[in-house]
Amino acid sequence: MFALSTSPIDARALQDAMRRPEAGAFVCFEGWVRNTNEGRTVTLLEYEAFEAVACSEGSHILHEARERFGLLDARCAHRVGALAIGDMAVWVGVVSGHRGEAFAACRYIIDEVKKRVPIWKKEHYSDGDSGWVNCECHCGAEVHVHAEPVTEAQLYARQVCLPEVSQEGQDRLRRGRVLIVGAGGLGCPAALYLAAAGVGEIGICDSDTVDASNLHRQILFGIQDIGAPKAERAVDRIKSMYPFTIFTPYPERLTDKNAMEMFCKHDIILDCTDNFEVKFLINDAAVLSKKSAVFASIYQWEGQVQVYQPGTETPCLRCQWPDMPEPDCVRTCAEAGVLGAVPGVFGAMQALEALKLLLGRPALPGLLLFDLLSGQPHRAGLKRSASCPVCGTNPTIRSVDPANYGDGLDVEVEGAGEGNGTFDGFEVIDIREPQEIRERPLAGLKSTAIPASRFEQDSLPLSTDGRYLLCCAHGARSKYLARRLRARGYPHVFSLKGGAEALV
Amino acid sequence: MSANGAKNISVQYFAMLREQRGLSKESLATHAQSAAALYEELRFQHGFTLPLERMRVIVNESFQPWDVSLSEGDEVVFVPPVAGG
Ligand SMILES: [Zn+2]
Repeated sequence: MFALSTSPIDARALQDAMRRPEAGAFVCFEGWVRNTNEGRTVTLLEYEAFEAVACSEGSHILHEARERFGLLDARCAHRVGALAIGDMAVWVGVVSGHRGEAFAACRYIIDEVKKRVPIWKKEHYSDGDSGWVNCECHCGAEVHVHAEPVTEAQLYARQVCLPEVSQEGQDRLRRGRVLIVGAGGLGCPAALYLAAAGVGEIGICDSDTVDASNLHRQILFGIQDIGAPKAERAVDRIKSMYPFTIFTPYPERLTDKNAMEMFCKHDIILDCTDNFEVKFLINDAAVLSKKSAVFASIYQWEGQVQVYQPGTETPCLRCQWPDMPEPDCVRTCAEAGVLGAVPGVFGAMQALEALKLLLGRPALPGLLLFDLLSGQPHRAGLKRSASCPVCGTNPTIRSVDPANYGDGLDVEVEGAGEGNGTFDGFEVIDIREPQEIRERPLAGLKSTAIPASRFEQDSLPLSTDGRYLLCCAHGARSKYLARRLRARGYPHVFSLKGGAEALV
Repeated sequence: MSANGAKNISVQYFAMLREQRGLSKESLATHAQSAAALYEELRFQHGFTLPLERMRVIVNESFQPWDVSLSEGDEVVFVPPVAGG
C-alpha cells in the first residue's frame, strides 16, 4: 500500500497495522527533512507529486519488493506539500519471516521510490534562494553513464588509422595551439571540430554576448545562454565535452594592443570574424608574428577560405587587397541574411585546414570559393605578391598600427586649433574635385588642393615623414584615402573628421 | 484535427517546468510529430532549462519513448527528474 499524505505521517499507526503472528522481522526507514544540502542551509521543503502516477508506480514498487524478497507485507507513505526541518518526509515499513530479507527489501523500496516515483522536492535556502533538487542542471546528482575511464587512444582511434594522421600526427595535434578569433557562426563549428580531433590548446576570443538571433548558426549556444559572454560560455560548453583539451577564453576585442601577445601563445590563428578591420588586423599580426592564419568569409549562400602560411608561397590578405576595403562595401549577416549550415560548412573547413597544417601537410593553395546554393566550387589561384605591404620584400607595414584598422585616423576639428585657422603641424590637403572646392572652399584654412584621383599614381606628392591632414566634403573619402596611404608607407596621414562641412 | 492539420494535445507540467511555464496544464495545437519534437517546441517557446535527455514523458497515462508519435487528443505529461524521499 502506497499513500501520499498532506498531513504528518503517523508511523506508530502504520507499524501497528502491519503486525501479524507469522512476522519474525519488521524493518522501517524514515526520511527526515535535513537542515543542509550541499553546504547550503535549508529552511523549508516543498514536495510536489504527480498523484495518479506516483500512487501506481509506488504500489508497483511495493508489489515487486514483496515478490522478490518474499515479504509478508510492505507499505510506504510519502508527504506532499510544505515541510519543516525535522519533519518526516517518507516512511517505509516491511514485514517478513526473517531479518535478512526485511533489511534488503526496505533498502530496495526507498531506493526505487527515489528513482521512479514522480515526486519533486523544492528546497528553500536561508539566503532566500530556492531550487528543485535533481532538476538544476549543475547538480551533483548527475548520472555518469560511463564509469570506466576513457583513454585518448579510444577517442582518436578512427582518425589515427588514417595514414595521413597516424599516431605521430595525433601527437602533433595534441601539441597544437589554435586561436579562434570570433565565436560565431564560423568559430563555433571550428572549435568543436578542433577539440574533437584532440588539439591540445584552443583559445577563443570574442567580446560579444549571445543574442537570440545568433542561435541558428552559433551552435555552441542554446537559449539558456542568451545574454552570456560568448567566449566564456563557449569554453564552458566545450570543455565539458572534451576534457583532454586546454581551453582559454579571451572575452575581449582583438585590438592592436593585445593581438601580438595573444598570437604568440598559439601556432595557428583562425579568422572567424565578420568585419574587415579585424580581418586585416589578424592578417598583419599573423604575418608579423610569423603565424599561420586560416581566413573564412561568408556572404549569404557562398563563402571563401584562404590560408596564409609563413615561409611558403601562400598569399596573405594584403597580397590581394593592399588596402583594406571600405567597411561600407560589405554587408554583415545581420543585413544580408544567412542560413546557419553555410558558416557551418566553412567553419568546419577552417578546422580542417588548421588540422592539416598541424599535421605538417601543405596549406590550401590560393582561394577556395564555394557557392553552396548551386553547389558550384571555384578555386582561384592566388600567389604571394612581392610588393605586398606586409608580407612582400619591402614591407611598409612593420607593426600593428591602429590606424590601419580604422582607428586613430580621424582628427577632430575641435581642439585642433581652428581658432587661428591652422591645424598645427599638419599640411592640409584638400582631396575634393576642383568644382567641389569652388562651391564650398575650406573655411579659413590654408590648404593644398590635390584631387583624390592623383593618389592612384605610382609616385606620390608626399614625403614619408610628413604629417598630412586630408580633407574631403564629409570625411569619408579622406578617411579611406588616409588608410590606403598609410598602408603604402606614409605613417602620418590623417583624415579631417566631418570634412569641409565640419569647419563651418 | 483542426483545419490547418495541427493536433490538439493536452499537456501537463510539474515542478520546475510548471514554474517556468507559469501554469500546470494547458491545451495546445501543434504540428509536432513526436513527444520529443513537442518538448523542444515548448522548450524554445518557454525557455525550459531542462534538456530532454534528463526527462521522461508520459502519453495517455503510460511512460513512452521520446520518439512516440502524437495523435489528436493525446494527454502528454513531461516528467522532470524525480527526487522523492
Ligand atoms: Zn601579403
